[in-house]
Amino acid sequence: MATADPSSVVMNLPRRDARDKLLGRTRYTVDRMSPRMLHAAVLRSEVASARIIRIDTTRARRMPGVRAIALAEDAPGMHGIGIADHPLFASGVIRFHGEQIAAVAADTYEQAQAAARAIEVELEPLPPVLTMADALAPGAPLVHPDWKSYEVLFEGAARGGNVAWEATVIRGDTDVAFARDDVVIVESCFRVGRQNHVSLEARAVVATYEDGRYHIETSTQVPWTVRNMTAKLLGVPASQVHVTVPPVGGAFGQKFDCTLEPYAAILARKSGQPVRLVYSRQEEMLTCLCRENADIKIRSAVTKEGEIVGREAVVLMDCGAYGGEQIFLTTMTAHTLGGNYKLGSIKLATRAIYTNTAPNGAFRACNGVYNTFALECHTDEICDAIGMDPLEFKRRNVLGDGDLGATGQVFEGDVLGPMLDRMERLRETSPSKKHLAGDRLYGRATVVGTWFVFVGPSTATINLNADGSATLITAGVELGQGTMVQALPQIVAHELGIHPDDVIVRNADTDAAGFDLGVGGGRTTVSVGAASVAAAADVRNRILTTASELLQTRPDRLVLRNGRVEIAGIEGSGTTIAKVVQRAHQVTGPVVGSGSFTNPGVPAMPGCAAGHFIDAIDIPVFNVHDCEVAVDAETGHVEVLSYKVVQDVGRALNPRAIHGQIQGGVTQGLGYALHEEHTIGEDGCIRQDSLETYRVPLALDTVPVEIDLYEGAPSIGPLGAKGAGEVPIMNPPAAVACAVARATGCRVQQTPLTPPRVLALLLGREPAVELPHIVDNWWDNVLIKPKAQ
Amino acid sequence: MPTNLVINGEDRISTRGSMTPLIDVLRDEFFLTGAKVACREGICGACTVHLDGRPVVSCLVPLATVEGRDVRTVESLAAAGEPSPLQQIMEEHDVVQCGMCFPGILMVLTSFFQERPHAERDDIKAALVGNICRCTGYERLVDAAAALARRS
Repeated sequence: MATADPSSVVMNLPRRDARDKLLGRTRYTVDRMSPRMLHAAVLRSEVASARIIRIDTTRARRMPGVRAIALAEDAPGMHGIGIADHPLFASGVIRFHGEQIAAVAADTYEQAQAAARAIEVELEPLPPVLTMADALAPGAPLVHPDWKSYEVLFEGAARGGNVAWEATVIRGDTDVAFARDDVVIVESCFRVGRQNHVSLEARAVVATYEDGRYHIETSTQVPWTVRNMTAKLLGVPASQVHVTVPPVGGAFGQKFDCTLEPYAAILARKSGQPVRLVYSRQEEMLTCLCRENADIKIRSAVTKEGEIVGREAVVLMDCGAYGGEQIFLTTMTAHTLGGNYKLGSIKLATRAIYTNTAPNGAFRACNGVYNTFALECHTDEICDAIGMDPLEFKRRNVLGDGDLGATGQVFEGDVLGPMLDRMERLRETSPSKKHLAGDRLYGRATVVGTWFVFVGPSTATINLNADGSATLITAGVELGQGTMVQALPQIVAHELGIHPDDVIVRNADTDAAGFDLGVGGGRTTVSVGAASVAAAADVRNRILTTASELLQTRPDRLVLRNGRVEIAGIEGSGTTIAKVVQRAHQVTGPVVGSGSFTNPGVPAMPGCAAGHFIDAIDIPVFNVHDCEVAVDAETGHVEVLSYKVVQDVGRALNPRAIHGQIQGGVTQGLGYALHEEHTIGEDGCIRQDSLETYRVPLALDTVPVEIDLYEGAPSIGPLGAKGAGEVPIMNPPAAVACAVARATGCRVQQTPLTPPRVLALLLGREPAVELPHIVDNWWDNVLIKPKAQ
Repeated sequence: MPTNLVINGEDRISTRGSMTPLIDVLRDEFFLTGAKVACREGICGACTVHLDGRPVVSCLVPLATVEGRDVRTVESLAAAGEPSPLQQIMEEHDVVQCGMCFPGILMVLTSFFQERPHAERDDIKAALVGNICRCTGYERLVDAAAALARRS
């Protein structure tokens, strides 16, 4: 049992789900089994682009154990973010290697696989576009020739051809800035690859169809998205879809979309039996909705004193065959690549580009990770060009109180500046590990970063029970991040004056909880937490009203603490909350409260941003990371010698849990910086199809991260909290790349910094990244036209 | 042909085919879902169990090779429901996140500590090189294991 002081919301409350996870008793979606349950397998395309001439399931239907087959005709709808461009099954054409053609349910998985292989598919190959450069070339084949006919779900963006979405920011006049005679112009190009989440629990679902409704038990971050998207794809009312979520075995953004659930739902309806679908590791490696590959060009006009008077950038994000999350994420360039620093004028273009490759998706801090890598490497190149120390440059330029962000948002509070000071103190108190480099090359860098909390709608209901416990009902999900087992019980307990162990947190169930945007973007503690605070306030008012009558004391003189309603200042007075609830049962009925929350909508400067889903960020989250590396000049191997983090957390409700998130997030970021790499072959198939060829960090790759939690920055989150789980992954590629550049004296333009790449840099054999498909005149890169003067 | 084996101290008979991976027998036939299937290639270590007292990746062990042998899974670590010292210290240090890798990590470390009860931190890290954890970044769970080694 925790020995927490319920009067304090800040505590290192242990996880209530740890015991069963350690005993092997936790039942994740992959562990769910039921009598008569069928197993499903998906038939996938083995070419990147083709016209479908014929699909014949005659032979497959006669195979042993086969109970149902699902095809494109079973799912007439299209889904997407911003544009409904994505059918459930390849419909008429194949757009990527691995695209789903059919799904089969059979008594065993092996039977389902055999039947899927027995489906006859006749294809007419089409020329694929596999890179963004190819997709943007004049006369390139269109991945979506019918793009104009798609339903637009969010208005306001320029689109066209293979440009799925274009988001732009224009503030001030960069032409004037670049024409000044007192500036140095620095131009940098970067290219990054895809990162695979490698959640140990693959995407998994068990679906049933009962009483005219689908019940989907799934490993997801977004139960409400699964409910609504499944309904849209199947062409049924959303009320017919019921989603529940068991404990999730890792997600990291991979499960922030509806993906495999509709296949199982269709098969369950057709067979009348429960259907289990779990993707194999190979399927996960080849089609996992990766962090996208991207091409980035940045130009800046900077004075000798280090003032950034103009910045222009183009970011090309490969969304793969369908738009997906990348459509939304075009928004985030403004707040990451366009973030951190004061800018006199800016032009940014971010374009999601269709290619005939597996669709990409969300991954912890998304494009913020590589935009920060690009921005911080570019910043170092600026410092080299004007001869200024990078730390001095950062101190002069980081956004402070009242400064304007890229879209003209006014930032509140000095945060990054004091965080740089805190990092300096951390560097002073913790000695350098330079001696460990021995005769290897040594480099060190301190980098900054800005991310945000993806707020938006959440709801919560609290039933206060007659035993004095509270049941919290939300659509939040426990992915491993701890919010549902730590932050939320702590918040509700604090508001109601009870012990966190007396707060029951219900697993997500769309039939029980109201709408929620989902668990991701660092939003759960903030949005579900704020809704929970509102629900608790509702409950508290009811309790105080009843207690006031019972204790003959005005409500404003009563306090809730230690499971009691007490008269303020008189410890042990009053009565227990349980007794008040029992009294309420007789006079007003059981005690229930509800609350809801959404983003307040911080304003941007009108007219600055086009095609953005959010023009300004409600809760910025800042990072300062510091890294020391040793580079072996003979092998190109990079060893991280030390790693330090100062993270803006608003208020740390559970410091120990935040430390766990930072250690884990930094490690994932170091994997992306140093060795996690997907490449795409000439057939359009991802080459690394297993954990043997895709190298995630192992125990011997990690270093203990030294952590300083920065508290007190402004936040609209509950009790001043901010999301802490997403941002730790933001800066490691930037920190490592800048440190490697300093150690080697080489310009770093790409990640991951694998030994062969670093060795090639040292030997002068690594080709420069030049990006000819991003042209010098910014306007020639975009679909929008300059406004007439 | 049925296969006889001892699972967590009980005699069991499996009717699965001889090439069925042990992990599938444990999970699908005997409903011991503690060990996880995460890669089926012997790389991630999430399916680690003890075979005659030695840790093995059970996704690469065909059923036919375990006739008459002793298999122990994570479910056996907590004798009479009381978590083992290793399980307790992981809980105390609050190092679990999603939890999928822990059954394998616990089986590896349980075996490792039998041979090296006073192991140093670096040796504990080296012992875990066959277990992928995607959430924690390892260091804090290594700290917990090292604290146990110091205590014993």
